[in-house]
Amino acid sequence: MPTTERTARLKNRCRFKHVAGGEYVDAGVKAGVERARLITESHKKNVGEANCIIRARGLENILNNITIHIQDDELIVGANTEHPDYFPMYPELSYYSTVDMVESRYCDHKDEMREIAEYWRPYTIQTKGEKYFTPEEIGVMYSATTVQPPMFVTAFSSIVPNYESVIEDGLLKRIEVVEKNIADANANMRKSPWNAPENLHYLDKLDQWKGMVIAMKAVVGWAQRHARLAKIMAENFLSEPKRKAELLEIADICRHVPAYPARGLRDAMQTKWFTYLLCHSIERYSSGYGQKEDKLLWPFFKKSVIEKSAQPMTREEAVELFECERLKVSEHGSTKGRQLREFFAGSNDLFILTLGGINPDGSDASNDCTNAILEATESIITTEPSISFRWNEKGNVETKKKVFNCIKKGFGFPSIKNDEMNTQQLVKYFNVPEEVARDWALVLCMSPGITGRRGTQKTRSEGGSDVYPAKVMEIALTNGFDEFFTNVQLGPETGNAAEFTSFDQVWNALKLQLRYAIELSLRSKDVGRVMELKHLCCPFISSIDDGCVEKGLDANELAEVANPWHNIIGGSVVVIDSMAAIKKLVFDEKKYTMGELMDALRNNWEGKEQMRIDFWNAPKFGNDDDYADSIATKYYDLVADEWKRNTTYSGTYPLPLAQSVAGYIVNGPKTAATANGRHAGEALDDGGSSPYMGCDKNGPTAVLKSVSKINASKHKGILLNQRLSTVLMNSDSGFDLWHAYMKTWHSLGIDHVQFNVISQDDMKAAQIEPEKYTDTLVRIAGYSAKFIDLARYSQDTIIARTEQDIKAG
Amino acid sequence: MSKCEQCAFFFPIPEKDMDFEPGKGDCVLQQEDTKGKFWLSRPVLESSAACQHHRSKR
Ligand code: SF4
Repeated sequence: MPTTERTARLKNRCRFKHVAGGEYVDAGVKAGVERARLITESHKKNVGEANCIIRARGLENILNNITIHIQDDELIVGANTEHPDYFPMYPELSYYSTVDMVESRYCDHKDEMREIAEYWRPYTIQTKGEKYFTPEEIGVMYSATTVQPPMFVTAFSSIVPNYESVIEDGLLKRIEVVEKNIADANANMRKSPWNAPENLHYLDKLDQWKGMVIAMKAVVGWAQRHARLAKIMAENFLSEPKRKAELLEIADICRHVPAYPARGLRDAMQTKWFTYLLCHSIERYSSGYGQKEDKLLWPFFKKSVIEKSAQPMTREEAVELFECERLKVSEHGSTKGRQLREFFAGSNDLFILTLGGINPDGSDASNDCTNAILEATESIITTEPSISFRWNEKGNVETKKKVFNCIKKGFGFPSIKNDEMNTQQLVKYFNVPEEVARDWALVLCMSPGITGRRGTQKTRSEGGSDVYPAKVMEIALTNGFDEFFTNVQLGPETGNAAEFTSFDQVWNALKLQLRYAIELSLRSKDVGRVMELKHLCCPFISSIDDGCVEKGLDANELAEVANPWHNIIGGSVVVIDSMAAIKKLVFDEKKYTMGELMDALRNNWEGKEQMRIDFWNAPKFGNDDDYADSIATKYYDLVADEWKRNTTYSGTYPLPLAQSVAGYIVNGPKTAATANGRHAGEALDDGGSSPYMGCDKNGPTAVLKSVSKINASKHKGILLNQRLSTVLMNSDSGFDLWHAYMKTWHSLGIDHVQFNVISQDDMKAAQIEPEKYTDTLVRIAGYSAKFIDLARYSQDTIIARTEQDIKAG
Repeated sequence: MSKCEQCAFFFPIPEKDMDFEPGKGDCVLQQEDTKGKFWLSRPVLESSAACQHHRSKR
């Protein structure tokens, strides 16, 4: 239950922008045109300027002129479009994504937007990036079968904004710093005698710094517009004294931040929200909600709630503010092409914040702000933002109980990440000093990255993008040719599996197909990165990173702290189980030949039911069975080694990250029958190390033991979904049993785990009477969704997950 | 012909604000739909021709 009447009202009228089956659920959701219109108008006026200036002027034109709005009851203000029901469009990113949206039912300004899309076509990073690939390579990537289409066509990105620098400094101080850099550079360039090597680098920097100043001033002006609107509302439109006072306080806050440092919790929250909007949704689109929120807000929580020295408030008011934040995120609209809308079934975007862990000095980082955030999460019941909790032995039990309370209620989050393992990953692979690494937060669903004033991840071309392993294995058996879905050569010719005479040949074909997919995908990311830094400068995002300000570099260009990673999305366990079955039944026991298997797979097991059952009953990952688990270990070592062969833009190799989002559902229909006994078109496994649906039969500890055999430290993350009994989790001993399970999980050195706690009966009842289950949430993989927003097929994949009895484990 | 300048929903931008321009103001309108009330603000010029929502200043 929402804790106040206000948040009850806000929830009741929340303008959710969830998608299901690739379409927005709420009929009122529309594509806003003002952002696209304003950035186009500005671009036409500024063509010929340096890209960072063009981009800064574009942002300035948007922020000065876009219609802003404040809704009744709101405590946190600001949005990314001209109307609370809309989402924005980004014609400068991808032509295809823009056209997809323009031609959809969501766009009411088709003629104008078609003209805008055509205007931008030669300038988009899509057009710029495509030139570096052959038509065949483009065909493979755009088919979204073995790899995700490149970021220059999906327009998808992710970022961790430097919230700290805005909250701590305020933008006016940062403008002063940048203006001093400009003055110093100008003075140096006029020193006698003239020295070209020492001075010519200032040319680009001067442009970058000037762009930053334009952007920051525009942001201060945009906040002032909100201040004026709140004051005008209070003085001209409203008579209720309490709301008038709130609006005058909002006006005071927006006049103060982000221009000046935050004073208390309300300032810090508003600064954070403005910064989020600008970095994720206005300057360009980037998914995520990457932040260590309890660290970021703790000093202001202390001042306002505990010491009451600035913007004093009660703890209850702080909880209400966190509830308001969750609702604000829930109605935030994001634009994505169809493939990504399908990938985020039941959600409007990926929003994941991080809590818990330890502080730079090694002390427990969970504090009363952590607890208040978790309490708000428990009371307001929204799918967004999802939460990741950093599980550290030092974490206090009170906070862990609040984490448990959310999980027990079936939210599917917080997901749990192994704190020590993820900290050490940043130290070991990316040379991050330990005290900096200890402030890590998830960049998106699963990947840790640093937070703070500099060096945070700024672009998807650093980390992200996908390889789809089940499809890769399929074509490893068919000479690289996709017989099932596209009829296209998707990879190199590695032989027809019917002629393979050893398991090593199967393995080698898989390795070579993976290699091709990985390298194509990595190349597309790095080409995209260069296109971003040349054509898609982000002067505001750069202006809040201390490193970019110091060096006069665009945030896309500067890779101060490398953090490359790459997803292996859904299907890894299908590959593992298929490999185990082939090894066992074809090469060890010789019960079937590769020729017979290929015939059966091509015919979707038709007329071969007994054979399918044999393959289905072969050893499966997730049962503490060394036969299958040794193949899992070998597979995960292989993918780590294959990524390790490469060096990316930021100078090091990426770590693989095995997870799923809703890719296991979307990619299932594109994937032929597989040797684990799965029929063509059926869903894949739902995450990195989650056993295939219904195949984990030996209890939860066996699952953990299987997962623990994988060397997770070679990976950015490996997702594990578990479904736990509602009865047991809600029993008197629920917390103790779960806590003991988590201790086992932690001691086994496993990277991640997340839980669905919902009964089969409730899910089936929700399918029959959805209107009674509007608050029933489920974990997909990496994010949660309302069960009733999911397509029937997606619902069924969750019902099919094995329910584990941790008491029996 | 009426101008925005004479409209009750026109509010001039204070000179000290970043987006100040002579003659520029905020047009603030209230809207309501099934999900509640909200207030919109967009920049207009005082010299612009009044729109259908125009209401004379008292
Ligand atoms: S645009 Fe219309 S409502 Fe707005 S200030 Fe002008 S006349 Fe008034």
